[in-house]
Amino acid sequence: MTINIETVDVTNALNDIDQFCDIPNARISGEIFYRSDIYEQELEKVFARCWLFVAHESQFKKAGDYIATTMGEDDVIVVRQKDGSHRAFINACPHRGNKVCFSESGNARGFICNYHGWSFDIAGNLIGQHESGVYEDSNFDASQWGLREVPLIDSYKGLIFANFDAQAPSLKEYLGPMTWYFDALFDNQEGGTEFVGGCIRSTMDCNWKIAAENFVGDILHAGWTHDSAARAMLGGAVSKVSDFDESYSVNWNGHGYEFALDTVGNVAVLGESALNKYLHTIKPSVAERLGDFRSNMIGSVSSATIFPNFSFLPGQNTIRVWQPRGPNKIELYTWVLVNKSAPEDIKEKWRKGAMMTFSPTGVFEMDDGENWEYCTKTARGKVTSKQHLYVGLGPDTLLKDTDLPANVYAGQLNEANSRAFYQYWSDLLKAPNWKAVPDRNVGRTEAGESAAQCVNKEMG
Amino acid sequence: MFYKSEDNTPVSIDEFHRLHRLLAREYRLLDEERFEEWLGMLHPDIHYWMPGMENRRRENALEHGFFDSQHMALFDDGMRDLKRRVARFLQPSAWAENPATRNVHIVAGVEVFHSEISGEYAVYSTFQSIRARGLDEEYVFSGRRYDTWSDDDGQLKLKKRLILMPNATLNCKNINTFI
Amino acid sequence: MKQIFLCKAGDLPSETVRKVENAEYGDIAVYNLGGQFYATADLCTHATASLAAGDIEDDLIVCPVHWGTFHIPTGEARGFPCEVGIKTYPIKEENGDLYALIEAPEQQAELIAKG
Repeated sequence: MTINIETVDVTNALNDIDQFCDIPNARISGEIFYRSDIYEQELEKVFARCWLFVAHESQFKKAGDYIATTMGEDDVIVVRQKDGSHRAFINACPHRGNKVCFSESGNARGFICNYHGWSFDIAGNLIGQHESGVYEDSNFDASQWGLREVPLIDSYKGLIFANFDAQAPSLKEYLGPMTWYFDALFDNQEGGTEFVGGCIRSTMDCNWKIAAENFVGDILHAGWTHDSAARAMLGGAVSKVSDFDESYSVNWNGHGYEFALDTVGNVAVLGESALNKYLHTIKPSVAERLGDFRSNMIGSVSSATIFPNFSFLPGQNTIRVWQPRGPNKIELYTWVLVNKSAPEDIKEKWRKGAMMTFSPTGVFEMDDGENWEYCTKTARGKVTSKQHLYVGLGPDTLLKDTDLPANVYAGQLNEANSRAFYQYWSDLLKAPNWKAVPDRNVGRTEAGESAAQCVNKEMG
Repeated sequence: MFYKSEDNTPVSIDEFHRLHRLLAREYRLLDEERFEEWLGMLHPDIHYWMPGMENRRRENALEHGFFDSQHMALFDDGMRDLKRRVARFLQPSAWAENPATRNVHIVAGVEVFHSEISGEYAVYSTFQSIRARGLDEEYVFSGRRYDTWSDDDGQLKLKKRLILMPNATLNCKNINTFI
Repeated sequence: MKQIFLCKAGDLPSETVRKVENAEYGDIAVYNLGGQFYATADLCTHATASLAAGDIEDDLIVCPVHWGTFHIPTGEARGFPCEVGIKTYPIKEENGDLYALIEAPEQQAELIAKG
C-alpha cells in the first residue's frame, strides 16, 4: 500500500518522567492519572506508535463489512476488502475532516461524506465528488485525496490490530512470546474464536492506565473488591488465590498475563455449571493441541492486558478496550468471545454470563468502577498527586531457570506485571522513536521442552 | 427508536389505575432499596431484557433496528439472575453500595392494553433513572419500557420487560439499580 | 439514424453491464436484464462517474459514486442524488450483434438543452 498518512511529529520527552514513574524503586505517583501534559505525550508516544486492537475477524463476513472504532482518540474504520483482507482508514474526510462513517458497524458500497459528497470506495480511493466539474477545472488529483490509511494492520488468531507508525516493530515481534500464553484462550480449539454480536459501550471517569494495569497483573484485588459478587454468584468468597500452589505472572514489552492453573476458577464465577463442564470436556483436546500446562489455563483464575489498552479475562471470556478520552475518562468497549466450535447453547450461556458478571451491569465489575474512578479523582489534588504510590509486591520472584517463555515471575499475587507495564510505558514516553525503546526482556522467546509438552507430540 | 410496538385494545379506567399503581409502587420500592419486595412483584417466568443499542444505519438495521436478541445486552435475565443481582446488593461487602446510592425513578407516559392472552396486559411507559452517589456524582438516563404483566396466583406480576435506552454508549460506569 | 456496434449479445451475461467507449457520442453503457438488452449513456448526470462501474439492482443501475439510481429501460432518474434522467438508446439486435441507435442531430440538440 502507498503510505498516504502524515506521521505525528515527535516532541521532546517530559523532563520529570523519573519522578512520576520510578520502577527501580517500585513507585509511581498519582499525577500519571491526572496530568494533561502526560496524556498529550501518551497520545503521541503510546497511542500513535503501538499496536492497538481494532476488531475481530469474525465481525466481518463479506466485502464492504465495516467496523468503526477508535485508535486512541483517532476515529478509524476497518473495512473488509474484496480479497478478504482488512484495511483501516482514518474516519475523517480529507476535505474538511467530517466523519465519513456515522454508524458503528454494517455493510457499505463505500463511504460518502455528507458535507460535499466526496465518495470513497471500500479501498479508501476517492472516486467522485458532488459537482465534480469544479474539481476537474481545478486540476484536482483525486489519487492524492483518498481516505488516509493506517499504515500497519495485522492479526493474531482473529484479533486485528493496527498501528499508525510505519516504523513500528511487527505485531509478531511486539507481542513476542506472550502469544504462547494467549493461545490458551484464542486458539484452544480447531476453528478459533468469534465475538458474540454487538458491543457494549460505556464510560468511566478514570485514567485508562488504572484499568489496563488492573487486568495486567492485579488478581490481588479480586478477593477483596469482588467479595460481594462472588458470594452472590457462587454462594461463597472468591477462591483464595494464595491457596494455589502454582501460579505465575508473565510479561513482555509491557504486556502481562497472570494466571493460576486451576482450569475453571474464572469461568466458575459465571455460575453456569454447563460452562465448567464444557471446559473440562474440551480440556483433553486442548492438552493435545497446546500441551498439558496450557490446558490448565483455559478458564483459570487469570487476567491479561496487551499493552497499552486491550484486556481480557479467560473464563469469563470478556474482551475489552479502554479507550482514552482525556486523562480522566475512558470509553469502555466490551465484547464476549467464544470458540467457533462451541455448541450454540454454550455460546448463549457465555453471552449472558459474561454480561452478568463483567459489564456495566456486571455484578463483579460494578465494584471496580468506583475504585478506579477514585484512584483518578484523588490525583486532582496537587499535593496528593505527588505522593508515592506503592507498586512493590513480589520483588524477587523472577524465575530464571524455567522452560516457560517470556519474563516469568512466580505467583500471581504479585506486582511484577504492573511494574513491567509502567516501565514499558515510561520507556515509550522517553523514546523519540522505536529504535530508542530499550529491550528489557530477559526471558525465553520460545517455550522449552517441558513447557511445550504435549500428550501427542505431533500436534506440537 | 423504530421498535414498533402493538396497539391493542385499551383497558378500562379501573384496570389502567391498577397497573399504573403497580408501576408507581415498583419504583418506590426500588428507591427505598426494598429489593426483596421488588422481586416479589416479578412473575416466576420473568424475562428482564435491556439489549445493548448499536448505532446502525437504516439500511443495515438489526433484527429490531438498533438491537438484536442474539447480541450483547445489559440485562438478559431470568429470575435466578435477578436474584443473584439482589444478593450482591444485600452483601455487606458490596463496597460500591456503601454509602448507598440514592435513587429516584420516574415513570411517565403509561399506556395499558389488553394482551392477546386473556388476563395479561401490555404496559408501555417511559422512565428516567436518577442516581446520586458520594458527594457529587449524578447519573441520569432514560428510556422506554415494554412490559407484559400477567396473573400469578391471583396477583398481577411483571412477566416480561424490554427496556430500551436511547444511548449507544452508557454515560456512566455501571447501572446498579433496576429500571 | 446511425447505429453503433456495442458488443456480441452472447458476450454480455445476464444482470451485467459493460461500458463501450465512444468519443463522438459519449461512452455508452449496455445492460443485459434477464435476456433483455438496454443501452444508456455511461456518464452519470449527477457527477463524473461511469454507470457501468455500478451495480444493477432489479431494473435499476446504481451509480458507484453517490449511489443514486436510474431506471435502465427508461433512463428515468429514480434515487437521490440523481435528478436528471440519463439518455437511453434503442437497441437493435442483428445476427447476435447489439447496436445502439443514435437519433438525428436535431433531436439530440433538444435533449441537451433540457438537460
